[in-house]
Amino acid sequence: MEASMAAGNKAGMTTAADSRAPRSLWSLRRGEGGVIAGYDDSLAEHYRVRLMEMGFHPGETVTCLQAPAFGSPKVFRVSNTVFSLDDEVASHIKLESHDT
Amino acid sequence: MTRKVILIGSPNCGKSLLFNRLTGLSQKVANFPGITVEVASGRFSDLEDTTLVDYPGTYSLQPISGEEQVAVEQFQQGLEDPDVSHVLCLIDVTRLEKSLYFTLQVIRECERRGKPVFVLANMMDILAGHGLEVDLDGLSRELSAPVLPISARTGKGVPELLCRLRGEAAAGEDPWPHDDGVAHTPDVILRGNAHQLARKYGPRGDLLVRTQTRLDAFFLHTAFGGLAFFAIMYLLFQSIFTWAAPAMDAVEAGLGWLAGLVVPLVPWQLGKDFTADAVFSGLGAFLVFVPQIFVLTFVIGMLEDSGYMARAALICHKPLRVFGLTGKSFIPMLSGVACAIPGIYAARSIDSPRKRLLTYLAIPLMPCSARLPVYTLLIAAFIPNTTALGGLVGLQGLAMFAVYFFGMFCGLLVTGLVSRSRKDHFTDLPFVLEMPPYRLPAWVPLLRKAWQRCKHFITKAGGIILTVTVAVWFLGYFPNGGADLGSSWLGQLGRFVGPLFEPLGLDWRYGVAIMTSFLAREVFVGTLGAMFGIESAEENMVPLVNYIQASDLGLASGLALLVFFAIALMCVSTMAILSREAGSWRLPLQMFAAYGLAGYLGALGVYQLVTLLGG
Repeated sequence: MEASMAAGNKAGMTTAADSRAPRSLWSLRRGEGGVIAGYDDSLAEHYRVRLMEMGFHPGETVTCLQAPAFGSPKVFRVSNTVFSLDDEVASHIKLESHDT
Repeated sequence: MTRKVILIGSPNCGKSLLFNRLTGLSQKVANFPGITVEVASGRFSDLEDTTLVDYPGTYSLQPISGEEQVAVEQFQQGLEDPDVSHVLCLIDVTRLEKSLYFTLQVIRECERRGKPVFVLANMMDILAGHGLEVDLDGLSRELSAPVLPISARTGKGVPELLCRLRGEAAAGEDPWPHDDGVAHTPDVILRGNAHQLARKYGPRGDLLVRTQTRLDAFFLHTAFGGLAFFAIMYLLFQSIFTWAAPAMDAVEAGLGWLAGLVVPLVPWQLGKDFTADAVFSGLGAFLVFVPQIFVLTFVIGMLEDSGYMARAALICHKPLRVFGLTGKSFIPMLSGVACAIPGIYAARSIDSPRKRLLTYLAIPLMPCSARLPVYTLLIAAFIPNTTALGGLVGLQGLAMFAVYFFGMFCGLLVTGLVSRSRKDHFTDLPFVLEMPPYRLPAWVPLLRKAWQRCKHFITKAGGIILTVTVAVWFLGYFPNGGADLGSSWLGQLGRFVGPLFEPLGLDWRYGVAIMTSFLAREVFVGTLGAMFGIESAEENMVPLVNYIQASDLGLASGLALLVFFAIALMCVSTMAILSREAGSWRLPLQMFAAYGLAGYLGALGVYQLVTLLGG
């Protein structure tokens, strides 16, 4: 499902979401998926590298498995590994423009 | 000649389990002085003259924290050792994407030094259980290194590995090292390669994380997750009392029986008094608490092994952030509940220097197991032993929960205040934490760990306690042969410190016990044990709590003592370790002065308040 959505983006589909600011990983709700577009420049280089080492590569599909209440860190799945990231880092990971 | 085999792997890939399986639990943990990582070594149980050296797991050989830096340097040094014959790189096949980059880096380093490497594909049984498989031959070709299937849990694949280590190569295997290897490939290319390989060979679908996701939906649920968290923490503290109680009674009875047997055999009166008062009353008062330390270590280890600790860190992250900490501070702080020293070591995993410093401030306020004897003694002396709900809820357990909670509250108060007053002195790093799958703990290594902690407690603290107890007994027994403690050398000394503790309603004996407990908190019970032992004419061993109840110590003073012990930093070893970790004595000395003063003032406040209320 997510793959077809990514393909939809590549085909140049224009949606309402495109006019908004790019979505970040943090904006994903429980059960939603997205494709990583890249990293925000404000995230330190060595941290960007570490995230890629952990599997958060641009082009990779990430699913939000849990989004606990009160702004607690969210739980994301990348391939078969599960990580928890808080808003300080997840908001710097940009997603390709449209997914549901 | 003994040869060495290196074992390395990324975090949470089952390395300790494999280590224990290969060495038959003969682990020796060496904590290198001045540096931050534990390198364990043990002899192979089924391979002659071969030692397995276990290096700490990291995600990459490109370190981003001080802890990783040391781990990586250690590994590099290990590779230079001519005795090292092979390197075993353990990967978790269920989560290839996080293991492969690290594996490629390890292969590169080994190629550069001409060390043969075996990639061990762990958790093949879990994969098979889900009807999935990974093309290990293909992976082996791409990695240019033999990939052997293994299961650290069941032991499958271990005999084949041992054959390989004995030098029995499989037919058709390439010679080592390869000409077309990765010895000169830079990190950035390796990272891309790893990503491609993981995509090509990694298991597909969400089958492997389904159970984990279902359990997380409960344990991280807003309502149930919070309730489960408090229930687990409450059971942890109740278990210290209820589970350990029979063993504590047994130790006490055993020591009493031994004292009754040994003391009459000692020839002179002086020797009899010494054995009864210094050895059995003093040292015995502290040995009674060993079962509690065992239970505490066991339960904390169980939480770590099961994977729950990472969830607890997540749950605590947001609340801890209010106090300037991170969810990663939770594990060091909870380890601090066992002992501040492993807590301080565990704080190395906090990559943000600012949050690490704040965690250091909180750890000595965590209710460590050295406080446990003091708390247990005072609670047993002042809180009635009533239970409800069929023994599930006890008033004494509840009091223990309260005093533990008080210590944690103080820790958070301090970090909250300091983080607000010191804005940006240190760099900060965000929160990324792997959520390991839920697993059943490996019981035997866990029991062993708990036993080792007890042994460490007995040998390390026991030495100090015996020395102090003997000194206290000597000063208290002479010059009048134990006739009157008040006029002994110790009594005269006590009159110097007495005035300091009078405002808390404590007589000089407690003052002396507090002064000696600055070496280590548990010395308090040993010192009191020796002093009351001299005072009483009793030949048999009497539980210390009976002496305290018989002394005219009031409830207000008892509570003041609890508050003082909860806050004051009274442990020479903690200060020494902290100075090493923080790089100077400044931090521990500042903390010693501040927490000592705060403890005294807090105790004074409580004493006055309770006295005022008519306690």
